[in-house]
Amino acid sequence: MAVPVEYYLVLSAAVFCTGLFGVLTRENALMFLISVELMLNAANINFVAFSHYYGNLTGQVFSLFTMALAAAEVAVGLGIILVLYRNFDDIDVRKATTMRW
Amino acid sequence: MTTRPRLRDPKTFVPGIVAVALFAVMAAVFVGTNFDVATGFAADANITATIGYALMGLLDVSGETAVESEGFLAAFEIIDVVLVAALVGSVMLADRELLGGDDE
Repeated sequence: MAVPVEYYLVLSAAVFCTGLFGVLTRENALMFLISVELMLNAANINFVAFSHYYGNLTGQVFSLFTMALAAAEVAVGLGIILVLYRNFDDIDVRKATTMRW
Repeated sequence: MTTRPRLRDPKTFVPGIVAVALFAVMAAVFVGTNFDVATGFAADANITATIGYALMGLLDVSGETAVESEGFLAAFEIIDVVLVAALVGSVMLADRELLGGDDE
């Protein structure tokens, strides 16, 4: 009845690789941030899948902490993107290769 | 001439190959591994309540329907501090008056 754990792992790998592709190809910093979120959430899928696999709730609780860390990361990331836009008039990540001061 | 998004963008072709190859390797490993049948949770298990007890480190008083877990009170408090620090940091970055913004 229960879904085999392999399917969750394959789904997680697909989400992770989608995020990896986004990180490698996107130029918009916001899309970059979204891709990083995808990679983090792939880890969450694994946590919850193995929590069910072992019948132990530690994985589910830990995935909540991962979400909280992702929220903190987004807060700081959006602040950095705001400063990026102010300094470069763009949020193209390729333009910030040389940091000016 | 209009520009439409193209699937075969040479700029994204190599990263696409890398990502798909990584997915293929991982999927092959996952499917090839012999996992047991998932243990799962009991039908009367109270999962939401157990998460609450685990976050507060109160699993001793969680009762009969709780699922096995560990206490996470220390991690809960630390993540609290981290979230406040991130909030303050983002406000500091976004504030024009303070350092960390631009130099106008």
